[in-house]
Amino acid sequence: MPDSRIHSSAPAAAPAGKQSRARAWYETYGQAVYSYVRFHVASADEADDVTAETFLKVLAAEERFDPDRGEARVWIFRIAQNTLRDHHRRSRVRRHTSLGAMRDLVADAPTAEERLLWEEEVSRLLSAVGELGARDREIIGLRYGSGMDTSAVAQILGVRESAVRTRLWRALGRLRVLLEDDTA
Amino acid sequence: MIADFADPRDLDALLGRIQFRPRASLEGEVAGRWARGDRPTPNPTPVRSRLVWLGVMLLLLGAVLYLMQSQLGLARVRTVDRCCEDFDGGGDRDDGMLVVSRRGSDVQRLAIYEDLDGSRSYTAGDALRFDRTGRPSLQQPFTAGMRTFELCCRDYDGGGPADDAVVIMALPPDRIAMAAIYERLPGAEDRSLR
Repeated sequence: MPDSRIHSSAPAAAPAGKQSRARAWYETYGQAVYSYVRFHVASADEADDVTAETFLKVLAAEERFDPDRGEARVWIFRIAQNTLRDHHRRSRVRRHTSLGAMRDLVADAPTAEERLLWEEEVSRLLSAVGELGARDREIIGLRYGSGMDTSAVAQILGVRESAVRTRLWRALGRLRVLLEDDTA
Repeated sequence: MIADFADPRDLDALLGRIQFRPRASLEGEVAGRWARGDRPTPNPTPVRSRLVWLGVMLLLLGAVLYLMQSQLGLARVRTVDRCCEDFDGGGDRDDGMLVVSRRGSDVQRLAIYEDLDGSRSYTAGDALRFDRTGRPSLQQPFTAGMRTFELCCRDYDGGGPADDAVVIMALPPDRIAMAAIYERLPGAEDRSLR
């Protein structure tokens, strides 16, 4: 299951200086943002680019971030959403996932063969996710990519948690149909 | 392997197992890029925004053209009141003609009145002898004694030069069957009745 270890506050204790703050933001949210982005792009390289761009935007805008108006996590994921949208607009890349692009996939596989099978499974899953509509892709990316729970996803999407659960359930249903069609 | 997802909870569990790890150097790369002065790429202008912008520009252009046209008087509706002449063939120069035209040529209304109160313009006390809109047509059947005559040349339509003639079919002393104007001066290309 996705972990929910993401902090929901700004790295206030981080030392001053942009480079130090960059590291602090990244340490807190880097993994989650990267994994979220990774659910939307075809390769690790693209995910690197979008993640780096997201954190450059975070650094450029951090003076404007007001913790009283919302959680840092929500703020950062909205920046990530916009960055991802811009990326797709610029590149207009057709979504596809090749096995060679899975170098960043975490696998607890004892053998190389099992790792390959896992890569293949994830590849097919993400290809199917890529065929879903934008709303479905977004909610799956936030829930499973970033590892946030439905409550956090609801905050980012600005909807009620019950709505997130419903949308997620429907998205999974549509994903299931796509996978079954693919298998057939 | 992906085989059977009869229960979406299986899919939920499988998706939950997926984890990606960014390369370790990405953290340093972000800090390094910032230190080198690398800044986020400006957002591309969305297609929708561009279309909205284009629409606004076209509207503005349209408004400017309309204003220019209005300033030049091309779209203005003019009303010309000419008094007094013998438009009904009655012998007395006591008739006036009202012409409402657009762009100085397109006649929208033409009326002939008898200036009963001697005001030399159309007033409530005058008698309307003829009134038409649209294209010229006979408003009364052709009868014996009807006269056709032309008066020339004045600016009856407000177009500027005194190059208009008025053609009238009337049964004197005060019945008018048809009235129309046309460009009369040599060189005028449009001789159609208006």
